[in-house]
Amino acid sequence: MDPNEAREQEAEQLLTAALLVKLPQHPASLALKRQLADRYAGATRVPRPRRALFALGAASAVAAAALVVLVPMRLDRARGALAGGAVQEHVAVLRGEPQLQIVSSGIHEVKPWFAGKLDFAPAVSFGGDAEFPLLGGAVATFLGRPAAYVEFARRAHRISLFVLRADGLSFPHGPPELRTVLGFEVALWREGDLGYALVSDVDRAELASFAARLTSPGASQPE
Amino acid sequence: MFGRGRSGDDFARDALAHADSLHNLARYLAGDGAEDLVQETYARAMAAADRFERGSNLKAFLFRILRNTFIDQARRKGHEPEPPEPEPDLLRDDAELELLRGLVGRDIEEALLRLSPDSRAAILLDLEGLTEAEMADVMGCARGTVKSRLSRARALLRQSLRLYRRT
Repeated sequence: MDPNEAREQEAEQLLTAALLVKLPQHPASLALKRQLADRYAGATRVPRPRRALFALGAASAVAAAALVVLVPMRLDRARGALAGGAVQEHVAVLRGEPQLQIVSSGIHEVKPWFAGKLDFAPAVSFGGDAEFPLLGGAVATFLGRPAAYVEFARRAHRISLFVLRADGLSFPHGPPELRTVLGFEVALWREGDLGYALVSDVDRAELASFAARLTSPGASQPE
Repeated sequence: MFGRGRSGDDFARDALAHADSLHNLARYLAGDGAEDLVQETYARAMAAADRFERGSNLKAFLFRILRNTFIDQARRKGHEPEPPEPEPDLLRDDAELELLRGLVGRDIEEALLRLSPDSRAAILLDLEGLTEAEMADVMGCARGTVKSRLSRARALLRQSLRLYRRT
């Protein structure tokens, strides 16, 4: 790559990472959220006809409405932060941090390599295929936590999979949840105690298809 | 009413879940007027809920209302439209890379606030993960111009960072 082009690409990646990680966020104050919840969520939830019942239940209805509104807000924000973190780590990978510490297309070489390097075993059963070949793995960090990094590819695109202990983080249960952050596609999910973050610049349908392979119980395990 | 098949409660609950993102954008556009801007945005959104297409991006719908409300508020206060920003002049040297590596939050916030509201909005909407089509809708421009607007806004931000660190 031309040195100027490489410098430009790195500058753009650094700017993206700085915006994602360092730009101060200004979330709505609790007072504003309560006011909005009271005006809009509360107003449509509290029955009008019986004033006495309303008087008795008003406080709990408003509190319930606030909970209904505030909990998803926090959850959405927390998952947004996870997705942002995934993009930040993926951008670092594109800059060469970390380098693959084991280069192999065999999941049965990559998985045992993590033994003794992390205090959990990354449960990854899909070992890649012709469409999404496995490239290798490394020990990385994700939001400051030790993580297993497993790299796959799709044509010329790199796909980063981070596996880490999920305690205290908002990885969603159930099927992978997809988001777009700064043009990158991110899938987040949780299996047992482990959280999974998958990120790439492939299109959303391709990442969804790949995530489905990773989470499929019958995923292939080529040697 | 309320979004073609959605109940009022559903729409309100889903809309209020975006309060943090709306307030963040409002703060970067309107500064201390952010809370007023968010309040008016929600009032307008609730009144326009029946125009929300089910299945489309509610956050983008709300951002569009917020941006239009911001423009209306600025007009009401008699603010003149911002003059066009000068073309960015990037050095693209190693010193810039060092600067970008060493940024702290205050640097990037101050530099962002030196840009026009339109450039700030382009950068922040991109951070929120909106697609090009959604950004075009929010910003009231053709889909084909979103990429160039965003690229120009980011170039201006890099230039602003360099000037800010020099002062």
